[in-house]
Amino acid sequence: MIAHEKLSDIVGAANVSCERTTLDEYSRDMSFVNTVRPACVVKPRNAADIKQLVKLANEILTPLVPVSSGSPHFRGDTVPSIGGAVIVDLSKMKRIIKVDRPRRVAIVEPGVTFGELIPTAEKEGLRLNMPLLPRKSKAVIGSLLEREPVIMPKYQWDISDPLACLEVIFGTGDEFRTGQAAGPGTVEEQWAVGGVQKAPYGPGIASWHRLIQGAQGTMGIVTWASMRCEILPSLEEPFVVGSSNPNTLLELAYWLIRLRMVNECFILNNTNLAAIFAKKWPDDYQDIKAALPAWTLFYTAAGYEYFPEERVSAYVKNISDITQRLGVEAAKAVGGVSANEILKAVQRPSEEPYWKLRYKGGCEDIFFLTINDKLGVLIEAMNDLAIKFGYPVIDMGVYIQPIVQGTGCHCEFNLFYDPGNPGELNRVRKLSISAVKALMAKGAFFSRPYGESARMILNRDAATVAVLKKFKKIFDPNNVMNPGKVCF
Amino acid sequence: MALEDYRGDMEMCCRCSCCKFIPMQMVQGAEYSYACPSIAKYNFHAYSAGGRLNIAASMLKKGFNYSDKILDIVKNCQMCGACGVSCNYAMDMEVLEPIQEFRIKTVEDGHTVPALEKVITSLGNQGSMVPVTGKRGDWASGLNLKDATSKKVNVLYHVGCLTSYDKNMQKLAKATVNILQKAGVNFGITGDAEMCCGGRAYQMGYKEDFLNQAKKNMAMIKKAGIKTLVASCSNCYQAFKVLYDKYNLRGDLEVLHITEYIARSLNEETLKPSKKVALTVTYHDPCRLGRLGEPWIHWEGKKIPGDRFVFDPPKIYRRGTHGVYEPPREVLNSISGIKLMEMTRIKEYAWCCGAGGGVNESNPEFAMWTANERIREAVSTGAEAIVTACPWCEKTFNEAIQKNESSLKVYDIVELVEKAI
Amino acid sequence: MALSKEVYKEFEDVVGEENICDDPAIMPAYFATEFAAVILPKDTAKVQAIVKLCNKHKLKFRAISTGWTGVFPKNTILLDLRRMNRIIEINEKNMYAVVEPYVISAELQAELFKRGLNFCIKGAGSNCSAMLRGHGHLDQTTSADDRNHLAIEWVTPEGEIVRLGSLGSSDEWFCGDGPGPSLRAIISSAVPPGVTPGVFTKAAIKLYHWPGPSKLPVVGKSPRYTLREIPANMMARYYSFPSVEKMWQAELKIGESEIAYELMGFNASMVASNITTCNEEEEEVFRRISQEVQGPGFFVIIAGNSPEDFAYKKKVLEKIVSDADGKSLKSVEDPEIEGILLCQCVRISASIRETFRAGGAFNSIPIMGQRDLTIKWAIGAGEAKKPLIKKGLIVDDGGAFFGWGVEQGHLGKTEIFCRFDPLNPEAKKAVEEWRKEQCARAVNERYFADLLMAKIDESGPSLSNYHLWWRKIVKELDPNSVSPEGGPLV
Repeated sequence: MIAHEKLSDIVGAANVSCERTTLDEYSRDMSFVNTVRPACVVKPRNAADIKQLVKLANEILTPLVPVSSGSPHFRGDTVPSIGGAVIVDLSKMKRIIKVDRPRRVAIVEPGVTFGELIPTAEKEGLRLNMPLLPRKSKAVIGSLLEREPVIMPKYQWDISDPLACLEVIFGTGDEFRTGQAAGPGTVEEQWAVGGVQKAPYGPGIASWHRLIQGAQGTMGIVTWASMRCEILPSLEEPFVVGSSNPNTLLELAYWLIRLRMVNECFILNNTNLAAIFAKKWPDDYQDIKAALPAWTLFYTAAGYEYFPEERVSAYVKNISDITQRLGVEAAKAVGGVSANEILKAVQRPSEEPYWKLRYKGGCEDIFFLTINDKLGVLIEAMNDLAIKFGYPVIDMGVYIQPIVQGTGCHCEFNLFYDPGNPGELNRVRKLSISAVKALMAKGAFFSRPYGESARMILNRDAATVAVLKKFKKIFDPNNVMNPGKVCF
Repeated sequence: MALEDYRGDMEMCCRCSCCKFIPMQMVQGAEYSYACPSIAKYNFHAYSAGGRLNIAASMLKKGFNYSDKILDIVKNCQMCGACGVSCNYAMDMEVLEPIQEFRIKTVEDGHTVPALEKVITSLGNQGSMVPVTGKRGDWASGLNLKDATSKKVNVLYHVGCLTSYDKNMQKLAKATVNILQKAGVNFGITGDAEMCCGGRAYQMGYKEDFLNQAKKNMAMIKKAGIKTLVASCSNCYQAFKVLYDKYNLRGDLEVLHITEYIARSLNEETLKPSKKVALTVTYHDPCRLGRLGEPWIHWEGKKIPGDRFVFDPPKIYRRGTHGVYEPPREVLNSISGIKLMEMTRIKEYAWCCGAGGGVNESNPEFAMWTANERIREAVSTGAEAIVTACPWCEKTFNEAIQKNESSLKVYDIVELVEKAI
Repeated sequence: MALSKEVYKEFEDVVGEENICDDPAIMPAYFATEFAAVILPKDTAKVQAIVKLCNKHKLKFRAISTGWTGVFPKNTILLDLRRMNRIIEINEKNMYAVVEPYVISAELQAELFKRGLNFCIKGAGSNCSAMLRGHGHLDQTTSADDRNHLAIEWVTPEGEIVRLGSLGSSDEWFCGDGPGPSLRAIISSAVPPGVTPGVFTKAAIKLYHWPGPSKLPVVGKSPRYTLREIPANMMARYYSFPSVEKMWQAELKIGESEIAYELMGFNASMVASNITTCNEEEEEVFRRISQEVQGPGFFVIIAGNSPEDFAYKKKVLEKIVSDADGKSLKSVEDPEIEGILLCQCVRISASIRETFRAGGAFNSIPIMGQRDLTIKWAIGAGEAKKPLIKKGLIVDDGGAFFGWGVEQGHLGKTEIFCRFDPLNPEAKKAVEEWRKEQCARAVNERYFADLLMAKIDESGPSLSNYHLWWRKIVKELDPNSVSPEGGPLV
């Protein structure tokens, strides 16, 4: 056992586990990465614990794999790539440190989930810019650090949003705070004078949080992070627009976002919408799916403190000018799914079981970023590949999320499969790898490289990798932080 | 004022680069946003107004160590004044004046350019800035025009060197005469006795030669009792109106450009363009009729010590606001059939034709490059012709067009008026 | 140290003889630096070749775009990027534009207006490179700081070409982050205390909707341009408030209700600078406006996408202003003045009037981040200006500061400066002392740490020791130490 006692000294014996069953839980996830059993799982209580853990890891050259969300995990980033690793499970760090209404910011520790933060924020009149229906166990910080797309592109000014500042223990064991949080003074001293930890850039010319985001824990472990929040609307009018042509809906979404008239705004195909809203399986699922148009755009017009009805009615009128021009119609329901129902659902994490697992128990996501113009070609390419690999196209979920106020979109193919069926599993696995390769060749940008495809993705950009490796050398010279991930 | 008198102005330069562009509010895109031909062509910051001011300020401090590069920087500028307009949109400081003084100092210090020396020698010997063939007044032979030196006239038409001597430009003199006659003006010329205004010598930095011409001209004008002078050349116009005034030589002589005189005649209805001229045109504001045609403002004062760059008495800057912009346009718009399409760079921020500041003589390639830029801009408006109000512009544009085989036509405004009356 | 003939020739072979110069005669035109040579590359390949030569010969280099400011070690090779002036692409459907370093903001904006789009022009003015990082008048709706860059093409200090984000992987400019951690973490075009080592050769910039006309109807002659008419669904006003608290209340609500196209926390002095054509007029107008305003205030532009949108925004604005006891400045209600200000503050064409015109120099403390916090600090810094005003050392602006909300109030920017005559040593010294004292107070009282003038070793310890990490990064990127720090470049 590696340094079990030393780990116990740091986090307390109760927070160290080397039980086989526990280790097995962390040795694999829902993705296709190899099963690698960690040596130990520790649950630090605070930043001081983490700091000591990182120092120890450097002394004994032991890999640390940070984990913030609860299971099931999907991307392979929390599964060790090499043996002998210590899992640093942050789920015990559950403090909601601050929610500040006037400055529209919340600060949380890594173990806090969406389900836990949402009510606290709402109490203050705030809301979160959420990813689409995260699983209940998903940690807020996990989502922020993974640069997950959010459903209100209007409020995503930068791709790093809604992450604001963070505190990190680098792979060297040094503590660092990014953005406004860096100083002067401690966080508490900043609060005392009326400061909050919100401005993300700096100190200096760097925007350090961007180095931690997307790193899959390879640069350091985040001990808390702040996120920008939005104001809770006083009036919300959700709408759905169905179409057989995703490009028409993309065009509509483009104008809605460009003119900043809508909050939530995303497109789902009928498979995904049915998977989210089916209550009785499998009949309900098939019925809803059959009743839905191929593609549905969902959006919400909202009003805040002043004359909300007037605001919403002005938007509704202006939007109808656009829908008329595009030959589509905004409605309050589509195929038996109401816009209100969607709105209610997407403002919370997914109900259990997680929506992606309801249909077949397993789901492989292929996601990338692209520009609007290329999306049609990429969807077609994916359909062709699915056919080639014998995966029914009608079973494939598609989620299109405009990002960063319309400068591109996240496209996600959800391949539902039965993990108990080796043939099906194998087919999806092969399809997934081939799809990443084929889509990349057609211009899809895999900005978040996970699992088996990561190396292939990063190989396309040797110049970036060369610079990233220089940084890795600085922040984690002994490569103790989640080795084997990204390009490290 | 000498270069050192502008030390404060030169040190106000904050290197903002505005002098390289037309005023920011007038920038209409990636094309035609540049104001200064010199920096646009030569790219090193030294070739901008800001660069020249900083170099001159540095030489004032460290001594005038001339080099070929310095002379190259000094000479490759049309002295078009676009830099000053753009700078003075925001700043209270002189721009073209110190650049002019720098040029004058260079000449006074004996660092001259052979091509310009040749021109000035010719000015001294033959009284002309252009090659002389025949007599100055030959163009008027057979027209029976009054000799203003001996007969009483209300208006003296000063023809200018280029229009007098250049066979291709003499048509402008004839058109002007025709227009004045149609308007019933009692005018005369000085024919062979006409002398160069000296304006272009001044632009080249030859202040003494300019003053010499100015004094001779004003002596003749005073002797003849001329009250009003009309010039069809913008260089002459600016020399008589602005530069002579700057050196207190103009007295109460009224100086008008022919476009101003025509516009006045149109308003007084002594001239009526009745014939249609079907042509889509764009109008090029000559620098010395436009921004540099603005009246001189006499001022003498001292900086008020303290926080601001202000003077006692307050200094009023010539920012290009009061140049001659509307009369030519009024004239064009009065001609039936003419459709005026404006270029991006017009009026106070018009792009130079390339011929000024001695560049035509010292660096014809640069003059052509500058003219080509303007031709390109003119063509972009969809116009069939570029109309100007200065023979130097017309000559330069014609040469550029010939070299490029462009189909754009070039007219002086008097040619179109002549067609219309 | 002049370059040897052989080395000079190597550079000359890259760019051609007309695009390199080491004649001392041209140097004063640039900065108070003796450059080893000034080189004018035309494209990325030339930049790369020059940088590689600099590494080969261990020569320091630095690049400028419009070259307004900058500090350079002696014998630096200056890459003047003037010839890299192309707008590479304007992608309407994906809301970005790609520019080279010498495209100025006025050019890009004019092209964007034709397409109903706009972008964040930095407060330094539209005469500066469109690629700059920074803050400006339009921050309320166009974001700011490092948040508007997408993909960037970067020649590293060693001469490698790195194409960030989607550009490196899929030849698209829409995203600058990934795969994996984002290199935008260190890519910054102009923020103190230095810039990213290397050269940025192209950058994609995020675009925003422009509700105004394809070309503003500017009339008049320089230096007094105004608008022939106020464009449809647009309005510009200046409101003053009885107290800073009331002003902040209104600013906060305006941000939260998402109604302002622009909110510029001008003071009376800044308004005067914008609308006047010379120093004497500015002084007089400042005095007059100072009598008209009831206290601190801000300038607002409301711009509707439709008549209904405009009517709604106007109604909310009036309600918010009225709730905070705000008063509209009558002078600005005059359509001519409204037009001048609207045009200046959309095209960002009066920055030099605001800063350099009065005395020839200004010394500023700009603070990015949290608006309410920095206002609190700025009140004291403004008070500290008053003795200098009384002594006649700096221009009288009433001791004011300015600033605005960024991203509809999520973030903010506050700035305070002193304008003075740089040839007056007493004034210069007094202003430097004021700056030092106020920055020290900012750190001691935990407001912020100045990064503009302070040495990195002074500010770093109070800011998570970021300077030590930054140095390590620079050392890794620039092993030959050929890409020196040297202050912000504008």
